[in-house]
Amino acid sequence: MSDERSGEDLIIVEVSDFLDGTLQGPDKEAIAAKVTSDPDYKRIYEEMLETKKAMSGMQKARAPATFAQDVTATIHKRSAGRFFGRRTLGDRVPFGALMIVAVLGLCMIAYLLWASQTGSLKPNPSRAPTTEPIPSTTR
Amino acid sequence: MSDLEPSLLRRLKDRDERAFRELIEAHRDRVYNISFRMLGSRAEAEDVAQEVFIAVFKTIETFRGDSKFSTWLYRVAVNHCKNRIKYLARRHDRDRDELDETTNVQHGAVGAIGGPGPRAPDHALEAQQMETLIQEAIAELDEEQRIVVVLRDVEDLSIEEICKITDLPDGTVKSRLHRARLVLRKKLQRHVGESNE
Repeated sequence: MSDERSGEDLIIVEVSDFLDGTLQGPDKEAIAAKVTSDPDYKRIYEEMLETKKAMSGMQKARAPATFAQDVTATIHKRSAGRFFGRRTLGDRVPFGALMIVAVLGLCMIAYLLWASQTGSLKPNPSRAPTTEPIPSTTR
Repeated sequence: MSDLEPSLLRRLKDRDERAFRELIEAHRDRVYNISFRMLGSRAEAEDVAQEVFIAVFKTIETFRGDSKFSTWLYRVAVNHCKNRIKYLARRHDRDRDELDETTNVQHGAVGAIGGPGPRAPDHALEAQQMETLIQEAIAELDEEQRIVVVLRDVEDLSIEEICKITDLPDGTVKSRLHRARLVLRKKLQRHVGESNE
């Protein structure tokens, strides 16, 4: 029984190599000839071919659509946002947001200056030039 | 020598997030499929595939580019799968309820035994049963045999590439592959014979 098993195992090794295309020249021709003439080789070849076909024909499982986002989110989470840190100055500093803040700040300063009693932007009625004629005091 | 564009590798080493996303998009399905076939569970496969990419990103600076990037990536994937198999074995967590969900349309799985194109419902059912049977047979293989058979017969990688991924000599890979095929052949023999009738 064990001899029979080892003999079959040997055929499987040869047929397996033959199917993988790793045999060359006379070795390949010898197995090809045995596969057509020897019933044991033929049976094992057909069974292994079917098995190999079934294996290679298995469905290709696909990763979920959000996989890339999930991986990068996990990296962000674990590294506390430090992993993807080496970016250019333009990427690292939010210049757009800073500009908006600066414009808002300038507007606020302008408003304060305008609203203030002592500010210089609001027109001061007490200092406004009068249009009435100045009475003559020479007499 | 590397199959990774030098500009992309440089961006990866500069930790450009968009480059990382490009890399994930290019390799995610293959890494996920290897993990799924090795572990037999979508949830475990997703988790391991994530860990694989995280490990790759952490160690990308050690990749010199003198070998194929995919070989390096698959080596990381195989090592993670081996670790997870050991971990699951320790926890006796062998729940593979999802085996019968291999045609889950939620994940947009495609491909079929016998090639693409519409199939009759009975044919599709038979293919699904066959796939479940194969996945169960793969899961029953020992870890080392499972690795080589998944890489060779499911992923269709060359023996040479499998040697590089597993860091094993040619003879060892072949003998493990033969033994795995022997086991699979015996497990599938009856079903394959029935389906041919």
